[in-house]
Amino acid sequence: MIDAQGLTRRYGEFAAVDGISFNVDEGEIVGMLGPNGAGKTTTLRMITGFLPPTEGHLTVAGKDLFSDPVAARREVGYLPENVALYPEMRVSEYLRYRAMLEGMSRNEAKQRIPETVESCFLEEVEKQIIGTLSKGYRQRVGLAAAILHHPSVLVLDEPTVGLDPKQIIAIRELIRELGHKQTLLLSSHILPEVELLCDRVIIIDRGRIIAEGSPQELRESWIGNTILRVGLKGGPTDALGVLGALPGVVDVEVLDAETGSYRLECAKDADPRQAVFETAKQRGWVMLELSEERASLEDVFVRLTTQEPSDGSARVAVDDATAAEVPS
Amino acid sequence: MKGLVSVMGRELRAFFFSPLAYIVAALLLLVNGLVFWLIVSYLNDPRAQFGAPLELFFGQTIYFWLVLVFVAPVLTMRLLSEERRSGTIEVLMTAPVTAGQVVVGKYLAALLFYCFLWLPTVAYPLLLAYFEEVDWGPILAGYLGVLGIGAVFLAVGLLASSLTKSQLVAAILTFAMLIPLFTFGLLENLFNDESVRQMLSYLNLWQHMEEFGKGIVDTRRLVYYFSATVLFVFLSARALESRKWR
Repeated sequence: MIDAQGLTRRYGEFAAVDGISFNVDEGEIVGMLGPNGAGKTTTLRMITGFLPPTEGHLTVAGKDLFSDPVAARREVGYLPENVALYPEMRVSEYLRYRAMLEGMSRNEAKQRIPETVESCFLEEVEKQIIGTLSKGYRQRVGLAAAILHHPSVLVLDEPTVGLDPKQIIAIRELIRELGHKQTLLLSSHILPEVELLCDRVIIIDRGRIIAEGSPQELRESWIGNTILRVGLKGGPTDALGVLGALPGVVDVEVLDAETGSYRLECAKDADPRQAVFETAKQRGWVMLELSEERASLEDVFVRLTTQEPSDGSARVAVDDATAAEVPS
Repeated sequence: MKGLVSVMGRELRAFFFSPLAYIVAALLLLVNGLVFWLIVSYLNDPRAQFGAPLELFFGQTIYFWLVLVFVAPVLTMRLLSEERRSGTIEVLMTAPVTAGQVVVGKYLAALLFYCFLWLPTVAYPLLLAYFEEVDWGPILAGYLGVLGIGAVFLAVGLLASSLTKSQLVAAILTFAMLIPLFTFGLLENLFNDESVRQMLSYLNLWQHMEEFGKGIVDTRRLVYYFSATVLFVFLSARALESRKWR
């Protein structure tokens, strides 16, 4: 549904997006992940036709955004990052305006507006003036306006930013529901969210795609070694050496000597759990904990985006973005 | 077409919902009412020269221009700059409408609201007609002048609004462009060169209104208003589109 080839956007000398190529297939939910300033919004703006690419080729639902912009824009529903609405309008008026702007007939609008209002849970505020709505409701009004004309591609830029946890859950449910019907491209810097919602993740940093795949694939190919956490009562003095000598263990680290907490880094395919258990039994150690640390997508993300850029110009890429801000 | 109409409809609604528009409407009526009353009472004096009140109203007072030069920036400053400041431009420019449709829709809304502002002044000739016979030709010509010059001024304002995110800057810019546009004609007598004088006289808006007030409808004036309006609206559409390439 979306086909981007060598997409580049320059602001003067600076390339905000630098030669990005990707596809989004019909019915797929794709998440675009990256630290702030990575070029997510710029990429989405190009797809929605707000910004023309400096270089590259872009089609949405088979329509070229450069040669046939109006037709291409008709295929796209867009929720911008800072949902901007007209504060003096009522919700129902605004939706009617958007319906007309999308070229719907009066009858079509009459049918779809109530449908959309219902699916976005806006019934209570339908007659309210937008300026008086909370951020969560505004976000939903923006989303309702974006899906009103049944676009074949839905583009959501940071759909849950600035919402409280309850609102986030509601919006996510809505997105998941929509994802079954439409092709969906969303951007986020919140990892659990992307992991939760998306079939495929594109990680971008400094205007380039640095990794792409399903959350599962990314985890597997980028995580590296398995980590075991072992807890031995009292912290036996020889534990460090013994554990380190076990087959498959690459490295041992003492996390807390008093409580006897150890961190074992294991070779990729090795699973020394049984050996750890048997050693403990043999030596009479009291085992309090033996668990595998599951690497999250967050680790992948941090690892990918904190690497020094190849051209040597150091830049801090990860700021607040690494924090999983909300419980998923 | 549907896009144009929906943009225009929303804009008109915004005009009627904003307190600023009512302040402008009240001010315009206050000044015009005062001027009309002054003219009528002046002409009522037996020592005064003979004259038609609305000829003086349209063609002879500075108030007409003062009001117009203030009204145009106030009506147009919001049109495009507010969309850019608040970010709603992103929705507008990703909807299946062209920049031309957006700009023309907004312009027509401003023009319609401008006409609405002048509507109550129709009471003046009606009031006169109640007491004595009125020559309607020059009055219609006067309103044609009001519409034509207003159309140009609003188009200038639209262009200013397309150039900046700030309403204040847009208003000041409009003001700065209107002042020379409206004083060109006054420079006429400063030049000895005949062709320069003729050109300035062609642009002399004061003289235009004087003529309209007398009932003279010169098609050259109408061509001037029409072409200037089209030019400024076209430039606004270009300016809106150029935002993409910066």
